[in-house]
Amino acid sequence: MSGEHASRQLIGRYVLGDADIPGDELFALESHLESCAVCRARLADTAADRAPAVGLLLENVWSELEPASRASAPMPVERRWARWLATWASPGMVPWLGVSTLVAGLAWVLAEVYRNGSAVVLLLAPILPLLGVAASWARGLDPAYELVVATPRAGLYLVLRRTLAVLVVVIPLLLVCGAFLHASPGLWLLPCLAYTAGTLAVGGVIGVGRAATALALLWAVFVIAPSIGQQRLSIVLDPRALPVWGAVLVAAAVVVVTRSRAYTRLGSQL
Amino acid sequence: MDEEQLVRRVAKGDRTAFEELYRLTSPWLAVRLRRRCSDDQVVAEVMQETYLAVWRAASSFAGTAAGGSAVGWVWTIAARRLVDAFRRRAHHARTPVVALHDVVSPAAEEEVLAETVGDDLGGALRRLSPELRQVLQAMVLDGLSVRETAVLLGVPEGTVKTRARRARIAMREALS
Repeated sequence: MSGEHASRQLIGRYVLGDADIPGDELFALESHLESCAVCRARLADTAADRAPAVGLLLENVWSELEPASRASAPMPVERRWARWLATWASPGMVPWLGVSTLVAGLAWVLAEVYRNGSAVVLLLAPILPLLGVAASWARGLDPAYELVVATPRAGLYLVLRRTLAVLVVVIPLLLVCGAFLHASPGLWLLPCLAYTAGTLAVGGVIGVGRAATALALLWAVFVIAPSIGQQRLSIVLDPRALPVWGAVLVAAAVVVVTRSRAYTRLGSQL
Repeated sequence: MDEEQLVRRVAKGDRTAFEELYRLTSPWLAVRLRRRCSDDQVVAEVMQETYLAVWRAASSFAGTAAGGSAVGWVWTIAARRLVDAFRRRAHHARTPVVALHDVVSPAAEEEVLAETVGDDLGGALRRLSPELRQVLQAMVLDGLSVRETAVLLGVPEGTVKTRARRARIAMREALS
């Protein structure tokens, strides 16, 4: 026998089920076989020559395996980027982001019809991300919610990560709409961010999903409805209100950071 | 072509690669399983489940980049399936019933694979009582948990833990 490979004699005893192989030899042989193709081939030869039961077994297994494997295809190869993407957004968020896109598209159509494009973008900008944010941390919408909540990274970190994923989709969308409809990003970006941060801050108390619903309703009732009724933009979307939005953003951010532990407990609360 | 490449091609649905993988690895797997289970019916069942899992889930093999060999991956699946099979059938036998003909006394050259298991360690393993060695084999070599080892060997979990501890102490003493 060479120094690197197991001898035919030892392999023969192993194949025939010799129970008297000393423990160290057995350990060494088994761990060696796992890493050595030459010895596995030698084992296959030995089994074919001296252990007809093994050959019979292999034939039986293959005759059952062949049709069974024909009946099913291998699972598709998981794409690496898909796996990476899944660390940013839960699958439940995808349709909601789709709805956001659809709403933006509808807003565009409306703006074209009513010839007042910038107002539509301004009115929609704050609540458009809420759809995605609501879905980002909601028990009912994420099938893996219970599992996710139990992971070490659950809590504020994951909430922020998913919120960021929503903003990354929604803000470019609004930028494009805004560019075509002549709405300055300076006017809608701050309300949009402040509203999102506010949702997270309130969400720490009542749950992100509920907070998003409540704030979106408030916006619809107190800003969108009056603006449509009076045919002019609400005072809160005036450029002079921007410092207030800035203050809201900062306050909400402070609340979110100081109450960061609340997002970890979200699972048991809601 | 080695097993890693074959598994990668199986993941793409290559049937010839699957057949080749079966041809290369099944004798080894069958023999290794038969040393742990004397019932060929169970071994056949386990092998069928294992290779079906390999066929279906080849894409989940992390590959050599993650520090795993394809053969080791196949064994991990098979060991788990074997434990499952034992769970399903409460009865099992540990000692192989394969006829022990053609037994020859070990030659001097059979002092195996010195680089894999050192002399001290080898001696210690050799002196270990069979039941302690079985526990070590299941936990270290086959990579099973305490609970799985208990199912495989048909002893309570507490016994497995005690034997593992005794084996560890014996090995430490032998090596010090």
